[in-house]
Amino acid sequence: MTIQFKPDETFRDDFSYANSDAAVLRFPFPFPEDAYMYSVNIEPHVPGGPSPAFDNPFDVDEHYVAECRERAKVLEQDPSRCKVLPHMMAAEWDTLELIMESFATSYPEHFTLTREGTAWTWENRPLGIRDSFIFGDASTLPLPPFEYITRQAQGDFTLQDQRDDNLFIDGGMVTTQADWSLDFDVGMSFHQWHGPVPLAHQKGVFDRALKFLLRLQYGAPVRRLNWTLTVNPRLDTSPENYPQWGPDRTTLTPENIAGTLHLRVELQSLFRLPRSNAILFGIRCYLCSIEDLARVEIWGKRLHRVLRDLHPEIADYKGTTRYRDMAVAWLSRFDDGAELPVGTAPRQTSLPPKR
Amino acid sequence: MSQPTVALRVTAAVPLSPLLKGFTFEPADGGRVAPSGPGAHLRLFLKPGDRVHKNAYSLISNPEDRSHASIIVRRTADSKGGSAFLHEGVREGDVIEAGLPANLFPVARTARRHLMVSGGIGVTPFLAYIAAFEAAGTPWELHHFCRADEAGVFEALLAPYPASRIHIHAGPVFGGLDEVLARQPLGTHFYTCGPAVMMDAALELARALGWPRARLHSESFGGAGEGGMPFIAVLRRSNLEIAVGAETTLLDAIEAAGVDAPCLCRGGACGQCLTEVAEGEPEHRDHFLDAEERASGRVIMTCVSRARTARLVLEL
Amino acid sequence: MLISDIKSRPVYERLSVDASGRRHLVLSDAPRPLADVIDGAEAAQAPLAYWYVASTSAVDGKPSAAPDAAGEASNYAPHETRAFRAIPHVMDRLSHRLARESVGLRLYVIGEEGFVWDVVRLAREAGMEESECRTAHAGSLRRKVFCVHCKTITHNVTTSLATCEGCGASLVVRDHFSRGLSAFMGVQADAEVPGELPPVEEMFP
Repeated sequence: MTIQFKPDETFRDDFSYANSDAAVLRFPFPFPEDAYMYSVNIEPHVPGGPSPAFDNPFDVDEHYVAECRERAKVLEQDPSRCKVLPHMMAAEWDTLELIMESFATSYPEHFTLTREGTAWTWENRPLGIRDSFIFGDASTLPLPPFEYITRQAQGDFTLQDQRDDNLFIDGGMVTTQADWSLDFDVGMSFHQWHGPVPLAHQKGVFDRALKFLLRLQYGAPVRRLNWTLTVNPRLDTSPENYPQWGPDRTTLTPENIAGTLHLRVELQSLFRLPRSNAILFGIRCYLCSIEDLARVEIWGKRLHRVLRDLHPEIADYKGTTRYRDMAVAWLSRFDDGAELPVGTAPRQTSLPPKR
Repeated sequence: MSQPTVALRVTAAVPLSPLLKGFTFEPADGGRVAPSGPGAHLRLFLKPGDRVHKNAYSLISNPEDRSHASIIVRRTADSKGGSAFLHEGVREGDVIEAGLPANLFPVARTARRHLMVSGGIGVTPFLAYIAAFEAAGTPWELHHFCRADEAGVFEALLAPYPASRIHIHAGPVFGGLDEVLARQPLGTHFYTCGPAVMMDAALELARALGWPRARLHSESFGGAGEGGMPFIAVLRRSNLEIAVGAETTLLDAIEAAGVDAPCLCRGGACGQCLTEVAEGEPEHRDHFLDAEERASGRVIMTCVSRARTARLVLEL
Repeated sequence: MLISDIKSRPVYERLSVDASGRRHLVLSDAPRPLADVIDGAEAAQAPLAYWYVASTSAVDGKPSAAPDAAGEASNYAPHETRAFRAIPHVMDRLSHRLARESVGLRLYVIGEEGFVWDVVRLAREAGMEESECRTAHAGSLRRKVFCVHCKTITHNVTTSLATCEGCGASLVVRDHFSRGLSAFMGVQADAEVPGELPPVEEMFP
């Protein structure tokens, strides 16, 4: 099926980004229950599940072209958003191989990979790219392999080297992040780079997650969902540019909050890379306004309950302090208090018109 | 969770010595073999008779074009059937089921120099290592210990590489490493693969010379789970009682009973076979569980560990 | 934004000699009696050197087997004691030694946080593992702060808010620490509402 891309939508300035009804219905809603707390919510990354966003190793949707253009803008301003330590070259090729093979298999109408031994030709039709190169010889590509391929993918990626029974964040492409800095964190161990996350350490979440990930096997990727809230459909909520996007948080009013406040969901996927033995961590960001989310009945009710009852430390960490009450007040109109089924599927196939 | 498997066709089976045989595989359906890195192994599912032997063999090369996969197999004297079957029962053109490559012996990517000590067939992962080090231009040094009558075989396998980096010690004596270990520059990592006795001696020597754990890497070929008192394993969910003999492993006994149990390394290292214990006391022989988990007695790694009690009830 | 109990922040313990080492090198950013710096030096089975920063041009970094730095009588007999004029002086000498060292060395570093992690970084760049370096804090708690917005490192920060020496932003000092930069993260405190700043507190004397 050919995806209808929306190449001109923007994630800054006039914020012309919007979801089609189909995009809303495939949104990976992250709350299966009315209460939210950190957990090791890792499951096999296999096709299927409550959202079509899970159907492929790397999901490509209507925002693909626009997101790649946004990434290019961020990198032009701040090249340090892409950094890979020198010992990670094998992992760079692993990443290129994995994404090209996955794209070409999942979306043959948009991407083609042709191989003759190590002579490869890559065609990315949505972005108008066609390059021939020698796999394993970085001098034959216009950019280093990891940067080359992650400029052509939605979402952030980090590379974790495994050594000394630990994981080290030794590379990444990070332009659509929820307030963490690759430039500052690069080279850190697993517990160090997760240092700022409250409560989860005390609950042992990171100890167990690390132990699990050290055993992650090639051919058996896993995924989990994470979330936060973002004012405006802004992908680049980096600490680097906090002076630029921080003021957004004071612009919300009861009149504009529904269309301006977005639930930001990260579909995080983890792949053991076969050549390097590193782990590729994909952090794919989905944005949906709370107005659109409330058009799905059970999502509107559930989001109301989760935000209303959120642990204060988590609410603060996610930067929601200034506007949480306002969001809860707006969402409360949809919540009749009825018991909701466990799960995240929308349980409806079309959306009512916007109010 | 069961792992995906692939069908591989034997495209070459070449005797290297009376006990060593090299095998090359390509995908039975055409296409490419799965990518892999230095230190990775391939698990072959061998079916010489009624039961399946899942034997792991180090891949001796990781070609970038993924055109083939190669291993070398030693026919072991006490073979339970796997290596003997490969030597005598498998021919060019045969198709063998295999798992995806996995790596329990990866290269330390941050190392500036690599020092390897191998014994006999334990050199196989280092053939893949050396190719990668040569391609990257990273300094390395190999000390290989082998029987005098097999020195020529290993010399031939290592012939493509600079002789100045290779030291083959033929004969029954293991030694001479003190001076080598004492003079390695700060960024060096140490790897050893071969008979357990040799690896233990090499690691012990390195530790005595001030090498910390983070610099030491070894691959075990399993076998630690055999030998001990027989016991009865009760698989509660499968509603089965099986006898685990003195000379078999718990995992082998579970598999022989037809139960599909999780496993990967079969050497107590990877953690895949972790199973809950409902009753009885495990005798832990793995390298995976932490002190607290061991003390709890509530989990067991079935590939190497056994029972201290006459009965062990498992959540399987 | 200031979140305490962050796991990236180093936890220090009193130094003690790692008996598995074949050579020991102790570094201090100030003259301190060796006995105050590290346990087990007396019983060390392997050669031990003590290098400290004297902060005076009167010393020359030459080895001496004399009693320790502060001039107090001592029963310890390190194989070598050297006094250096300044931190760059000892760092220069250290990189020279590390380039010629072999596996078996253990490093012990004590001093202000910036010094400690600059030494550890130098050691890592020379090929040492984290487990071969032990660290302890002594002296001022003042911090180096990395401005996440303009990448400038502001030195000698003792307060909860600091003015970035690069872009002038008022930075709140997060407890998130980078061993690579030897610095804590600084994030603009009034980004959401310019001028709306929390009170300044003396935090890291």
